[in-house]
Amino acid sequence: MKGTYLGEFQEIVLLTIIVLNENAYGVTIQDEIEKRTNRTVSRGALHTALTRLDEKGFITSIYGGATSERGGRRKRYYQVTNLGKQALQEARSIRDELWSQVPKFAFQNI
Amino acid sequence: MKPRNNISPPKYYEQFFEWFCRPEYFEELQGDLEERYERNCIELGQKKASGIYKREVLKMFRPSVIKKINTQYRLNNIAMFKNYSLVALRSIARNKLFSAINIIGLSISMMVGLLAISFISELYSYDTFHEKKDRIYRVINTLHEEGEDPAYYASTSPLTGQRLSENYSGYEKVVTIYRGFSADVKRDDQKIPIAGFYASEAFFDVFTFTMLSGDHKRTLTDPYTIVLTRASAEKIFGKTDVVGEIIELNDNIQLTVTGVVENPPRTSHMSFEAIVSFETLKKVQDPKRIMRWSNMWNSHVYVLLPQGTHPEDLQANLEEIATQENSSFGTSSVEMEFQSLNSIFPGKKLYNQLGARMEIKNVNYMIILAVIVLASAAFNYTNLSVARALKRSKEVGIRKVVGARKGQVFLQFILEAIIISTVALVFAYFLFQLIRPEFLSLNRDIQRTTTLELSFIHYIYFFVFSVVIGIISGLLPSAVLSRLKPSTILRGSTQLKVTSGFTLRKLLIGLQFTLSMAFVILVSLAYKQYQFNLNFDLGFETADILNVRVQGNDSELLTNSFSQVPGVSSVSKSSWIPSVGSFWTTRGKYIEGDNSTTVHLLNVDANYLDNLGHQVLAGRSFTEGMTVPQVVVNQKLLKHFEMGEPVDAIGKHIRLEGKDRAIIGVVKDFQHATLDNEIFPFAFLNEPDNYQLINLKIESADNINTMQQIEEKWSELDPSHEFQAFFYKDRIERAYSKLSTSLQTLGLLAIIAVSISILGLLGMAVYTTESRIKELTIRKVLGASVQNLITLLSKNFLLMFVIASGITIPVTIYAFENWIVPNLVHRIDIGFWEIGSGLLAILVLATLTIGSQTLKAVKRNPVEHLRNE
Repeated sequence: MKGTYLGEFQEIVLLTIIVLNENAYGVTIQDEIEKRTNRTVSRGALHTALTRLDEKGFITSIYGGATSERGGRRKRYYQVTNLGKQALQEARSIRDELWSQVPKFAFQNI
Repeated sequence: MKPRNNISPPKYYEQFFEWFCRPEYFEELQGDLEERYERNCIELGQKKASGIYKREVLKMFRPSVIKKINTQYRLNNIAMFKNYSLVALRSIARNKLFSAINIIGLSISMMVGLLAISFISELYSYDTFHEKKDRIYRVINTLHEEGEDPAYYASTSPLTGQRLSENYSGYEKVVTIYRGFSADVKRDDQKIPIAGFYASEAFFDVFTFTMLSGDHKRTLTDPYTIVLTRASAEKIFGKTDVVGEIIELNDNIQLTVTGVVENPPRTSHMSFEAIVSFETLKKVQDPKRIMRWSNMWNSHVYVLLPQGTHPEDLQANLEEIATQENSSFGTSSVEMEFQSLNSIFPGKKLYNQLGARMEIKNVNYMIILAVIVLASAAFNYTNLSVARALKRSKEVGIRKVVGARKGQVFLQFILEAIIISTVALVFAYFLFQLIRPEFLSLNRDIQRTTTLELSFIHYIYFFVFSVVIGIISGLLPSAVLSRLKPSTILRGSTQLKVTSGFTLRKLLIGLQFTLSMAFVILVSLAYKQYQFNLNFDLGFETADILNVRVQGNDSELLTNSFSQVPGVSSVSKSSWIPSVGSFWTTRGKYIEGDNSTTVHLLNVDANYLDNLGHQVLAGRSFTEGMTVPQVVVNQKLLKHFEMGEPVDAIGKHIRLEGKDRAIIGVVKDFQHATLDNEIFPFAFLNEPDNYQLINLKIESADNINTMQQIEEKWSELDPSHEFQAFFYKDRIERAYSKLSTSLQTLGLLAIIAVSISILGLLGMAVYTTESRIKELTIRKVLGASVQNLITLLSKNFLLMFVIASGITIPVTIYAFENWIVPNLVHRIDIGFWEIGSGLLAILVLATLTIGSQTLKAVKRNPVEHLRNE
């Protein structure tokens, strides 16, 4: 199912948007991901992921008002749609199920 | 509005981003980038922030961000180009005759262009492999001798090299090269010949030849050391790892191999199999003689200048050396100057070149000829297209009405010309492949120095070339067509005048004909001169004389052995052979008089004069076993020294080559040099130790068999050297190879020029008859005869022809005398037929072309052309 498949990075982006709640736009999403995962994310890569998510209907976006910051350009705020939330839950349930099957001793020695 | 603060991201990157980013995303993305940039500026400083920003912009270069190319505007543009190409192809297909004329003409002439491009780019790749090529200069000499023109030499005395390195600073390295190392290496009872030159220590510091083994700092420092090339090392030892080995030469000299280098690249102006240290030469020959100022014939001095030094700065050093050394040089004097490595090959004409030579003059001729031929073909295109502009005017009118701008119409027609020239390029390429071997065999210099192999870059050159040709030939027609006003065109084409190009067109056709006539006449003149040169009565017999190179063997032994061969009627020996362009001159002085002059010398044995059929006017020839120095001279020498009649001269003494010699015989003057020289005072000497050639007179019914037997005799006596022999006649032919090269080149160009101009004329004739067909038929209906009509149509052409020949004849004669056979003493007489035949041929061809078209037009039934109006 290509349509609803959630890539690892896309999943992180979706979760980050939910975490940031009202304040999810490019810079904050980028910062948040960098802070939490300890890896540098280029704005371009983030853009690609957001475009994909948008195409799948997992997120919507609205433009905020113009401010004197950022050369007077508007921010674009993202929100996760119900479909997106469903996809997240689905991904999580698949994972949980798998985790529940993992034998305990497999992680004893790390 | 954007607030003005002093921190804004790198401008060019921002612009670049805006250029490639999809507009709908730009606001969001640029805003985000800029917000981060502003924050980073405060946290990390502007420099780091800029770095991050730039990286971010570059990472934006991804499909999801980049603008779609298929925007409305671009799509439209591509469609336009598609339309232009389509219309161009249609118009090519519709006018098959005109397209064929253009394409054939262009492809023939572009073939010449391709030859020129590949030839010249190859020549200019010479010596580019030297890493320090821009700092290497050669010292060249100009020799002024009393009463003679200055002579230019690529060589200079080794003394120059020594003095430059010892007495002057400012040279990074000075290297002396001494030509003429050739020896047989003794190896397991075999003799392996190798050749090369002597060079001083700095050779490998100055020139870049890849050292396979050996320490390049020390290779040529000590006496008795030699550097081999890969080829010669493999020839002698069968391997290249031979540093430290000792080779023994035929004269019992032992040399230590101190290095092996890669074979010199083909694009090197110097080539060698081996380099022997210059110190060796000083040991095996008299160093005093070698380092003499007058010994300037065999040695070359190259200098490596430090970075930033110009040769002009050091010219004073050369002048100082020359002044000092000339003071003890008698009446002669030498001037020296620096020549940069880059201008050696191709370069100006110098005697005593080290290796391959190619005169820059020839290269320039090649360029000029290619340009002429190309221009001629481009004229055709221009002419025909301008003439036919009328037919395309409606198209232009409609295009302009629906909104095409002038520039777009211009572009369309330029594109059409480029399409034609690109198609022509394909044909030209095949023609080029056909003509390549012919071109390479044109003359020995070309054969030795170039291969015309094509690399990727050449194909790019070719393509660019065809586009340029397309643009040039399309320029005028495009300008004419794009200037047309739709209102005039669409109101009715009869009012339209495209005659502005008419006089220009006539001029272009006239030029073409001038060119083709000039080439045709030059060919016939050059051909006649060539035949004349080959059959010139030299004053002695060269027929059936086979010259065999002695190659260091005992000439007496060879003579005896060869004379046993049946079919060899007589045998003689000489140091070289006259009339083929070689010289050996010295200063000669009449003992009783006090003037001296340049005397040409030839060393011969007792049989020579008889064998070569020289006419002895007084006295006798040499006899075997003479002890007193004697000489046989020509009439010119008597005249110069005012010795009177031949009989009176016998017994008089002249001083030549350091000996007083008694004149024992006088021969009739003979043409001892090529025909571009006068006859000089000439003297035959008889010094047995200096014979290089054996002259065999062959009188046999079966030449091949005789040759085989001679060759067998040779291999009995000298198994290690290849038998080298040539007929005198062949060598004379080779002496005039320059003329035969010109002849072939001109012949090719004549064919090309004539066919292009005839093609052009055909196109014009077709066009004229087509556009005047109604006029012609009405005239015919009213009673004009076919003859009248042909006269009407060819009148203009005849006038043009007369004017063209008026220009051609004097120009051609001038060109022949000054360029094709300059300073030729024995020149053919240029009569009526040499010139007339060429003109007539062109006239006939042209009349046939015009006549056939006119005839075709007027012979048709008038009804066909008048019925529909």
